[in-house]
Amino acid sequence: MASETEGMPQGVFQCQLCAVSAPYSYVGQKPPNTRSVVLLEECYILKDPFTADRGRFLVLGSRCSICGRLVCVGPDCSLFYSKRFCLPCVRENMNAFPQEIRQDVEKRKALAKTPCGEPGSRT
Amino acid sequence: MPPPRTREGRGHREHPRAPCEEAPERWDWNHPDTRRLMEDAFFRDEDYIRQGSEECQKFWAFFERLQRFQSLKTARKEEEKDPEPCKHSIPALADLPRTYDPRYRINLSILGPDPWGSRELGRRLPPERVSEFRRALLHYLDFGQKQAFGRLAKLQRERVALPIAQYRKRILRTLREHQVVVVAGDTGCGKSTQVPQYVLAAGFSHVACTQPRRIACISLAKRVGFESLSQYGSQVGYQIRFESTRSAATKIVFLTVGLLLRQIQREPSLPQYQVLIVDEVHERHLHNDFLLGVLQRLLPRRPDLKVILMSATINITLFSSYFGGAPVVQVPGRLFPITVVYQPLEAEPTTARPEKLDPQPFLRVLEAIDKKYPPEERGDLLVFLSGVAEISAVLEAAQTYASHTQRWVVLPLHSTLAVADQDKVFDVAPPGVRKCILSTNIAETSVTIDGIRFVVDSASLSDSLLIFPRHQSFSVWAGCTCGQPAPSDSNTCESRNSAEALLPGLMKSMDVGDPRTFPFIEPPPAASLETAILYLRDQGALDSTESLTPIGSLLAQLPVDVVIGKMLILGSVFHLTEPVLTIAAALSVQSPFTRSAQSNPECAAARRPLESDQGDPFTLFNIFNSWVQVKSERSSDSRKWCRRRGIEEQRLYEMANLRRQFKDLLEDHGLLAGAQAPRPGDSHGRLRERRERQALLQLKRQHEEGGARRRKVLRLREEQEGGSSDEDAASGGRAAGHGVDIQDVKFKLRHNLEQLQAAATSAQDLTRDQMALLELVLGRGLYPQLAVPDPFNSGRKDSDQIFHTQTKQGTVLHPTCVFASSPEVLHAQKPENGPGPGSRGDKDKGSSRHQLLVFVSLLETNKPYLVNCVRIPALQSLLLFSRSLDTSGDCSRLVADGWLELQLADAESAVRLLAAALQLRAHWESILDRQLAHCTKRRLEEEEEEALTVSHKEVAALSRDLLQFMVPKIPYSLRRLTGLEVQNLYVGPQTIMATPSLPGVFGSSTLSPHPTKGGFIVTDFLTYNCLTSDTDLYSDCLRTFWTCPHCGLHMPLTPLERIAHENTCPDAPRDSLAGAEEAAPEPVQKASALQRPYRCETCQKDFVFTPTEVLRHRKQHV
Ligand SMILES: [Zn+2]
Ligand SMILES: [Zn+2]
Repeated sequence: MASETEGMPQGVFQCQLCAVSAPYSYVGQKPPNTRSVVLLEECYILKDPFTADRGRFLVLGSRCSICGRLVCVGPDCSLFYSKRFCLPCVRENMNAFPQEIRQDVEKRKALAKTPCGEPGSRT
Repeated sequence: MPPPRTREGRGHREHPRAPCEEAPERWDWNHPDTRRLMEDAFFRDEDYIRQGSEECQKFWAFFERLQRFQSLKTARKEEEKDPEPCKHSIPALADLPRTYDPRYRINLSILGPDPWGSRELGRRLPPERVSEFRRALLHYLDFGQKQAFGRLAKLQRERVALPIAQYRKRILRTLREHQVVVVAGDTGCGKSTQVPQYVLAAGFSHVACTQPRRIACISLAKRVGFESLSQYGSQVGYQIRFESTRSAATKIVFLTVGLLLRQIQREPSLPQYQVLIVDEVHERHLHNDFLLGVLQRLLPRRPDLKVILMSATINITLFSSYFGGAPVVQVPGRLFPITVVYQPLEAEPTTARPEKLDPQPFLRVLEAIDKKYPPEERGDLLVFLSGVAEISAVLEAAQTYASHTQRWVVLPLHSTLAVADQDKVFDVAPPGVRKCILSTNIAETSVTIDGIRFVVDSASLSDSLLIFPRHQSFSVWAGCTCGQPAPSDSNTCESRNSAEALLPGLMKSMDVGDPRTFPFIEPPPAASLETAILYLRDQGALDSTESLTPIGSLLAQLPVDVVIGKMLILGSVFHLTEPVLTIAAALSVQSPFTRSAQSNPECAAARRPLESDQGDPFTLFNIFNSWVQVKSERSSDSRKWCRRRGIEEQRLYEMANLRRQFKDLLEDHGLLAGAQAPRPGDSHGRLRERRERQALLQLKRQHEEGGARRRKVLRLREEQEGGSSDEDAASGGRAAGHGVDIQDVKFKLRHNLEQLQAAATSAQDLTRDQMALLELVLGRGLYPQLAVPDPFNSGRKDSDQIFHTQTKQGTVLHPTCVFASSPEVLHAQKPENGPGPGSRGDKDKGSSRHQLLVFVSLLETNKPYLVNCVRIPALQSLLLFSRSLDTSGDCSRLVADGWLELQLADAESAVRLLAAALQLRAHWESILDRQLAHCTKRRLEEEEEEALTVSHKEVAALSRDLLQFMVPKIPYSLRRLTGLEVQNLYVGPQTIMATPSLPGVFGSSTLSPHPTKGGFIVTDFLTYNCLTSDTDLYSDCLRTFWTCPHCGLHMPLTPLERIAHENTCPDAPRDSLAGAEEAAPEPVQKASALQRPYRCETCQKDFVFTPTEVLRHRKQHV
């Protein structure tokens, strides 16, 4: 029964930037049901809904270490570089980041302008 | 990406030498031993990735790619320091790592094993290799996280893009303010998947959502579970008959309308739900309409219950006004385009309907799509066709076209397809290729197939190809309840669902009064209700006053097909539960025979020993039992065993599951004493059992982690292995990759194989008597679904044998039917030893061995096929089962159910047989009633004592008498009446007629004239002397002198009078047949017991006449 409640949602996570939302079942650095992986930040975690394995988890997001906004891990909202930073904060403090990060953020900006991917076609 | 190669292959080919410890500089990541070392350290059972799992293989593929990528990078790029960043004022930025390293971008860390803790490992694993591995693993996990989050985000984007998403708040607000809300939107607006989630997210937790079809319950529960990201949690469940994924944690359950009605039947105020969503209310079938009626009455009593009616955008005001002007939230259709392709249909030839559907218009649709849309614009085609025959016609042509253009993969979808083949429609087509799914309308609104862009509905091919929610016409199921499913309907099993057929019974049991006057939203077509009521009367669930019979009230509670329910109940009376369970389960799943099984002579030969010439249910019974034996000896052989015989093993698994559910059902209803599980007595045995179970659970878990059923990329030339659904790769569990037959594992987890084997073994030990009783149970269960062989069959070829049902002439046997290959067992043989006893040598009186077929269903495709037949002796079965029996004056001529005529050679034997049948039926009925009453009582009072009101002795006596009765004795002829004869069957009401008194022959009741047929009502099924016939007038003259062997009476008597005397003769010894109720023996007055005073109005004289004398007298005046 204990395992039943472990998977139960604690609340709903919602990204303050893109509004993506999902129920989360754990907040912290030690995801339940696995002993071998720890997180380097306080994360909102959901049991991975795409697999049957109980031990697999999915990190939804965490708080920006500058502004404290709750942001998702999506590439349009935040990045991790030893800490979580939301993209607005990264852009504001661009020069504090190494070149690799700066290039990456520029690239994301360009990508976001020309969205690609398959056309939505489902019933 | 390179295909993952097998580890063994690589190691063998490139590196025959063992690596590692002796020569660390020759470290080889590709060597299996190296990998195993790492796996031993990092991929243990408690780790995130487990050794040997699919995940593990994926990791190594990733690892290889990463290595290649990194070697490229390091070669190109020299170590390059970032400029010293200035100390930042923001603390979070102040301590960022100075030198960039991709590892800083990963928010995970692996607590690997401490290889230095163990000296053994430390010696074998160089630290730099360990960190290399650890780094790769980190990247792999991070990659996995990104991928999964990407999927989640995409899912959300799609949900938000649905038309209904903009109405979420409005729907919820309206629901808070009103008790009933109508949500109207056409297919594709997303209401079925989204509204349940909105309601859940709004905090409601006891939600039921009804669906008209079972398959929709399953697919919606899966979809909603998936979308609400709790696919493997338990908040979203479904419940269909026999199957439930519901648990204590379930917040929303998808269930069929029929099942919800049963819940209301049990608890009329429906206390278990807070919100009720009734989906597809526009599909106007009795069930939905009845539910609406029940809800309308219930709502005032449950002001806290919220109801959402979801409908297509038709008839909205009807639903709204039925619930006092409930508010309507109307949602426009899909936002993304569904392309409408218009293809005019050429005028159909006016000659008789064409043998095969013309595939040309469909090919033109494929062509048009190819012409108009570039291949890189993805999107698949879904074609609705009316039946399997139509699908194969189009399939053939479309596959030819597809192999020519290389741009299509054509897939059929219908319920008779192997499960593995059905699943293919969910797979993805390779780039540049489209799927063309040819489906019966099972898929409509119920199966969600991603990526459909074009829809062709063949029904509307003549005017427009727009997808449109069609009405499930009521007449479809009404027709089905007569055992005659709609033409080429693939939903046979579903439409015959008892829940639908039993609706009037359900209504009776719910005390809502006469179904005809129930306040339906719109009065249903009277004919359909009448058909349903008639069906239940035919099946014996309602009596002649339309009250529920004891068997009917039990049937109304059992969520099974009426016929199956009857079998289960009857079987339990004769202590034949185990075999009947198997047969009932076998008849409730689709035919296990694969298509190739019909054509492949080797399969047919291998199956022959299992065939029973009693009928198909017995063949299925043998197959199941033998399969269980194979399973219990060497379960790994069972798949091969099935394939060799042309049997789809999946169906046998379904039978096993269903059998168990039936068993639970019988236990729940007190028809079966609690299971007497043969548990291994000693602790050693229990321990072994537990270990086995754990091993199985482990296997199952491993399989599930491998991703039970993953979408695959379809092969372009699917047709090359066309029809080879019984090939290893495609068959059954699809788990060949792991070398584990997951179906077998699940089977063993779910069932007690020892118990099943015990049942299978005892099946082999069934005595002849028990087999005969089993036939009786089946016969009575399936009655009145019966067919009579055409009299000229014996002169016809095997394949030309025809049979007639009451409503359908010229039906044929299904090719899989055992009688199709050996029809001679159905021919009435001549009595072996010359004229039988009592025969007067009259050749025309025929055989004593006429047989009828009872069948499970009538499948109409290109021909009307009888499916799952059992042969039963005609005369005896008709006497025991028929709802209506009419006799001539001397009882030698009988008409059963108004369409089958039996002419018996010998009137005296006829009367004896009839009298015996009456007593047997009464006895059988009384035992059944007491048994059922006992069950209900036991269930209500929860008492456990085994105070059986029906003694074993009594059942044994009945069994003996029944078996004796079934032995063919009297030669007779059997004939289907012509239409004209049926019209002029009865003499009609007689104004003046003396009531005959036949003490003892037909029991002691006084007879009253039949109001329409004429003659006299003996019992609710037997009418005496109501048949028009010339011969009857003279048969009564045949009085011959006779001496009673008991009292010595010597008089000229008709056969009937003789029997009447014998049965009441005070000196006659009582035989076993006179067991049930002791008819108060009336003293015989005199031989002319039939005579009554009669006053003839024409000649104004008084007589003392027998009924036939009356007729004869009246003839004089004509
Ligand atoms: Zn976001
Ligand atoms: Zn921020």
